[in-house]
Amino acid sequence: MLFQIAEPGESNEKAACKKRVVGIDLGTTNSLVAHVADASPAVIAAGSASGGGDDAMVPSVVSYPPGGEPLVGREAMARGVEHPADTIASVKRLMGRALADVAAIQPLVPYQLVDDQGRMVKVRLGDGRELSPVQVSAAILTELRQRAENALGGALDGAVITVPAYFDDAQRQATRDAGRLAGLEVLRLVAEPTAAALAYGLDRGTRGTYAVYDLGGGTFDVSILTLVDGVFEVRATGGDSALGGDDIDRAIVRWALGDDASFDSASRALGLAQDERGRDVARAIAAARAAKERLTEAESAALAFELGGRRVSTTITREDLARVCAPLLERSARACRRVLKDAGYQAEDLDGVVLVGGSTRSPVVRDHVRAVFGREPMCELDPDHVVALGAAVQADVLAGGTTDVVLIDVVPLSLGLETMGGVVEKLIPRNSTIPCGATQTFTTYADNQTGFDLHVLQGERETADACRSLARFTLRGVPPMVAGAARVEISFQVDADGILHVAAHEQMSGVAATIQVKPSYGLTDEEVERMLLESFDHAEEDLAERNLRIERIEADRILAATRAAMEKDARLLDADVEAATRAAMADLERLVAGTDHVAIRHGIEALDRASKPFAERRMNLAVEAAMKGKSIDEVERDLPAHPEVR
Amino acid sequence: MLSAETQTPDPFAMLGLPARFDLDTQAIETRFRERSRELHPDKFAGAPAAERAQALVRARALNDAYQVVRRPQRRAEALLARAGLTIGDHEQLDPAFLMEILELREELAEARAAGKLELVNELQTAMQGRRRALEQGLGPLFAAGDAESLAAAKRDLITLRYVVRYLDECDAALDED
Repeated sequence: MLFQIAEPGESNEKAACKKRVVGIDLGTTNSLVAHVADASPAVIAAGSASGGGDDAMVPSVVSYPPGGEPLVGREAMARGVEHPADTIASVKRLMGRALADVAAIQPLVPYQLVDDQGRMVKVRLGDGRELSPVQVSAAILTELRQRAENALGGALDGAVITVPAYFDDAQRQATRDAGRLAGLEVLRLVAEPTAAALAYGLDRGTRGTYAVYDLGGGTFDVSILTLVDGVFEVRATGGDSALGGDDIDRAIVRWALGDDASFDSASRALGLAQDERGRDVARAIAAARAAKERLTEAESAALAFELGGRRVSTTITREDLARVCAPLLERSARACRRVLKDAGYQAEDLDGVVLVGGSTRSPVVRDHVRAVFGREPMCELDPDHVVALGAAVQADVLAGGTTDVVLIDVVPLSLGLETMGGVVEKLIPRNSTIPCGATQTFTTYADNQTGFDLHVLQGERETADACRSLARFTLRGVPPMVAGAARVEISFQVDADGILHVAAHEQMSGVAATIQVKPSYGLTDEEVERMLLESFDHAEEDLAERNLRIERIEADRILAATRAAMEKDARLLDADVEAATRAAMADLERLVAGTDHVAIRHGIEALDRASKPFAERRMNLAVEAAMKGKSIDEVERDLPAHPEVR
Repeated sequence: MLSAETQTPDPFAMLGLPARFDLDTQAIETRFRERSRELHPDKFAGAPAAERAQALVRARALNDAYQVVRRPQRRAEALLARAGLTIGDHEQLDPAFLMEILELREELAEARAAGKLELVNELQTAMQGRRRALEQGLGPLFAAGDAESLAAAKRDLITLRYVVRYLDECDAALDED
């Protein structure tokens, strides 16, 4: 549909072109995929029972046998026992991060992290291959895509992927790139707590203001949302994108060793081979995790492991666990207090607190949430499934299936530019509703200056070095003028995925200055293209075929949308536009029958151009309707029969 | 690149609300949700690229308008702008207030450096009271609407900028480890 506004009588048409879309929860510890069938979301389990645990959950572990295809999930975990250096777990923590950001976890992970000139960290495998976290995540997404395609009986038309609400721009871009690399059309990135609220809200027809407390394997989010008649509005979001169950496991190992330093020294100074050390570390952490999980039911649990030749055997009680977790949970408490303040709410004014993420199964965490919010938290839906279920609903919304739901999300961290003296000028404050924009005008400080260097930052601190660097831009082509005469307008625009786009424009001359982007951590488009090419060396379909498939889907979608719009709003079409649009449609139909994906792309663009005046009219109508608080039909009734008269 | 479409439309008109200072928060939020139902980019997800791009522009304008109208300070600045009064970068400040804020900033910087969070909290609470008083005072001034009242509103808004910046600094101090 050109306009996916709920209107009776369109449902048959929608059912006829029902798209295959899914929601994916790409987690630190586990990942899963869900879809909407018969108006309610369900997780997609593995086709064959691969033994043990929840069959819908794929452990977020990838193992790389030398020269072979990567193994994902339980198979990867099994191989990881003997080949820890080739086996990557918790890759989500590395997304959009430089080595300096994650160096602290190196002694705690069995694989080797390597620097890439200060850009996104890489993982070096036993055979010397270096992989980007984006490629490792793409392997997990590919596994989920194939699983969904088997279950749904054909290629996917698109996917919604969830990210922690507190993920910054670089982390979101890395996630979207991983989706592309996995051959997915990424319809939208959705914040995990927002997706969870969607699943909860729809399930229960809820109204009111809720906190979503989401403690996963490696990330922590807390969001305050208002739910009214299908509108899910995020009021504020906060968290810590490096706080989760993983940290609790490591803290338990440290506790069992007796002091903080001995963990590093035990694993490093003994001069163990990488593989040997890795095995020890992996086993110690697995033992800690198992003990933690036993404490969900029991009051105490045995804990034994060996690290660097030192044998540890002890018993951990719930009280011990509470003490071990206390510093981590204090970080969580601070984030909760701040998000309440940002949203302008007191804990007692909330209608409820929802628990999301596997780590919220722990009674220690539940006690903490109860203390912070002063109420019993809600946990009716499986905290491991709820994010994927919500993502599936959002995918269905975007595919035109569910029509009575709107998600209104926010930017988690302020966006700004570095100005004189390393001070950050915030252009978009945190918790601004997305999509959003802001502009700032800069001037030249020297005569005949034709370029600018700009540094884009994200974060709350006042100085550039304390914020996250997102990108450095060089502006060129500003016409030479006396100092202070040029007016360069920098515009920040955040899209519905929470990803920032920057543009620049010189106002005095009207010159659109060119921008050169150097992402601080992300991959350039060329790098993604190259990885895409590499990944298809081994894949079942080649790149041209894949491009053809993607362009055909897009062409079919546009043809159907245009046809439906022309039928519905014939009176908004004047003769010229109609003739041009029909000609472009005929061309595109002919091209879709062929196999040249570039030609199809051009055909799509030509149709977009031809139908633009018509699209604008329809858009104005929608805006008018919204302004007047009327339905589109009501506004249409008031319109003259011929658009020319307007 | 920017196009004419990105020029900010009137934020009150965008939300279909009267251009007044005294607006009920609940009414602003309700109107925003109603508009979002129609204009949210999700509603155009199946549309061709050109239309999606336009939908994004409209949604952005709506969200930006919401940020302006729901915050008393920005709402007041938008009303002043409608009356042809803008606040520049080098506005004159009441000398007495200038002295006072400089002293308070010094006190805050010292409290921050010494890690005295209790004191930061006290300073913040006091300044928050001041912010409320300034914001509440704007209502009658905009209601009167004559040149003298608007000039007074402008003076108060200039003061408010300093107050808000001070409060931001308090937040930053409290957020530190």
